[in-house]
Amino acid sequence: MRRSVTVLLAVVLGVCQLLAQNRRLPNAANSVKFAVIGDNGTGDRPEYEVGAQMARARASFAFDTVLMLGDNMYGSQEPADFVKKFQQPYKALLDAGVQFFATLGNHDNQLNRYYRPFNMGGERFYTFAKRNVRFFVLDSDSLDPKQMAWLEEVLKSSTDEWKICYFHHPLYSDGGKHGSAVELRVVLEPLFVRYGVAVVFSGHEHFYERLNPQKGIYYFIEGAGGQLRRGNIVRSEFKAAGFDQDQSFMLVEITGADLFFQTISRTGLTVDSGSIHRGGL
Amino acid sequence: MSLMGIVKRAFRFAIDHYVVLPVGVIAALVWVQADAESFFRFSHAASFAVNEVGMALFLAVMTKEVVEALSAGGALHSWRHRSMAIVAGAGGMIGAALTYFAYLKAGDELSVLGPGWPIPCAVDLAFCYFVVKGIFGRHPAVSFALLLAIVTDILEFLIVALRYTVADVHASAVALMAVAILAAIALRTSRVRRAWPYIAIAGGLSWVALFWGGLHPAFALVPVMPFLPHAPRDYGFLADPPPEAHDPLNEFERTWKYPVHIVLFFFGLVNAGVLLQGWGTGSWAVLTAALAGRPLGILLAVACGIAAGLHLPGRIGWREVVVVAFGSSIGFAFSLLVATQAFSIGPLLIEVKIGALLSLCGAFVALVLAAILRVGKFSPSISHGSA
Repeated sequence: MRRSVTVLLAVVLGVCQLLAQNRRLPNAANSVKFAVIGDNGTGDRPEYEVGAQMARARASFAFDTVLMLGDNMYGSQEPADFVKKFQQPYKALLDAGVQFFATLGNHDNQLNRYYRPFNMGGERFYTFAKRNVRFFVLDSDSLDPKQMAWLEEVLKSSTDEWKICYFHHPLYSDGGKHGSAVELRVVLEPLFVRYGVAVVFSGHEHFYERLNPQKGIYYFIEGAGGQLRRGNIVRSEFKAAGFDQDQSFMLVEITGADLFFQTISRTGLTVDSGSIHRGGL
Repeated sequence: MSLMGIVKRAFRFAIDHYVVLPVGVIAALVWVQADAESFFRFSHAASFAVNEVGMALFLAVMTKEVVEALSAGGALHSWRHRSMAIVAGAGGMIGAALTYFAYLKAGDELSVLGPGWPIPCAVDLAFCYFVVKGIFGRHPAVSFALLLAIVTDILEFLIVALRYTVADVHASAVALMAVAILAAIALRTSRVRRAWPYIAIAGGLSWVALFWGGLHPAFALVPVMPFLPHAPRDYGFLADPPPEAHDPLNEFERTWKYPVHIVLFFFGLVNAGVLLQGWGTGSWAVLTAALAGRPLGILLAVACGIAAGLHLPGRIGWREVVVVAFGSSIGFAFSLLVATQAFSIGPLLIEVKIGALLSLCGAFVALVLAAILRVGKFSPSISHGSA
């Protein structure tokens, strides 16, 4: 009897949270669906709660991919830590066959690129595609000439409808702690503009921020997948929306020339949502 | 004194004390805070010309000073004088490197920042010299500090040249470097008494060899300079050679002295622009290693040297060694140069650059310690006024 009540309560709670998440995505068949997390690998309770919230979201929005924006692991990075800071928080997603594609942050051991579930193939920078979307994953810790030459080559040769880049350090940021990585911007942005990159995701700042389009490119910061720097967003002309009061993650759906996004907090509240039409607002 | 005289004296002071470098650094810091995008566009455009071409001349001038000091007749020729400074220099490097690693090991950024360990190991020869000379005046501690710094930077050059490659190394570049060295030897045995053939032929080949081989061409003239014939005596570190010194080594210095200052200004301008928000773990690691690890390593190495039977040069005791140890903790321009070799564009480079710039604080620490320990110009035995 007591067990039945517990199960019933859990179901009711789950339904309530789904309703709270208040899906704002079209959830179309054959669309590209993915989630985005960054700065998550603490192994602490908030990371687990975000992981649980992602699993709940997947019940009604079946994303098959998670982009990891770096600082996937903090502190010790021994085999047991991969269990505590990655496998357990995202167990439901991993069990469901969701693939994680990571980039490295400044707290990640460089050898983590060989960790199979991160799908980096042992590379610091790599690319992969999902239907009409190509993702370019960079190592912003150190933009060496080799990586820059590679990036230009793959951007130039890509004929995919959507080009999305992600890496750890944000080119634009209203973070009081770090701010914009201007030197990276000077090097990377001209390539993004020249070769039609539409959207850029970064982490490093421990909050969520959506920036006003810069030179036609949409920039998002999602660095609150486990960490949180509460109240760290400073007001500026860059900011379109932001959330620095709780941990969060993003859901993204791309269908044809439209990209829809929804940002959900650790407790299941939708803190931002909207859409982007490729080739214009 | 006339206005012209004041200007001339100010210019002379600026040249003698390498003032253009900090001026370039300050200009970069002001510019980057005011308009970061335009600064970085400029610095990226000018980086190769300054760091890999212009700095070859600066490193050549520094190598010239080292060659003269270590040659017969040079102030640091005798092994008897060298031994303790060599031990201290090596100890300082080990202390700096271990502290750097220990600092990073305490956190989780060792993996990405680890390759920067040679940054706090470097000593800015010119700044170290001016600081120690400013404290001690004419005292054996100056020669001791100078040799310590030279030993450190020779080891540093080797580490940087061999460790940080910018491209895939081509084996054929090794052969080209051998040709460059053979060309320098041939010029020397042919008794060529002008500097430019050594620089243009041997230096040019060496530059291409390093560039082609994926190593840093800023070091191109370092292996060539020892082959330039030089005067039978050393005129002093960073001192002007007299007009009668017509040997190729001094001719080289006379020709390139002022262009090198222009290079140094641009080196400061191109490399020192860091946004203050860029402060991070790398800044602390470099600073701690330079200001704590290096002096501690020097002091421990000297203690070990004494225990092993080596002797400190005359008139140098522990108090002087302490001040020299901190005076030589300034990495500044040399650390900046190493930083640009260790890391590519990115936040990590900015972090370690901030640490390198702040290693200038070593000068202040050395001054305070000299006052506390009453050595050099703070020694009570030196009279500062009339009765």
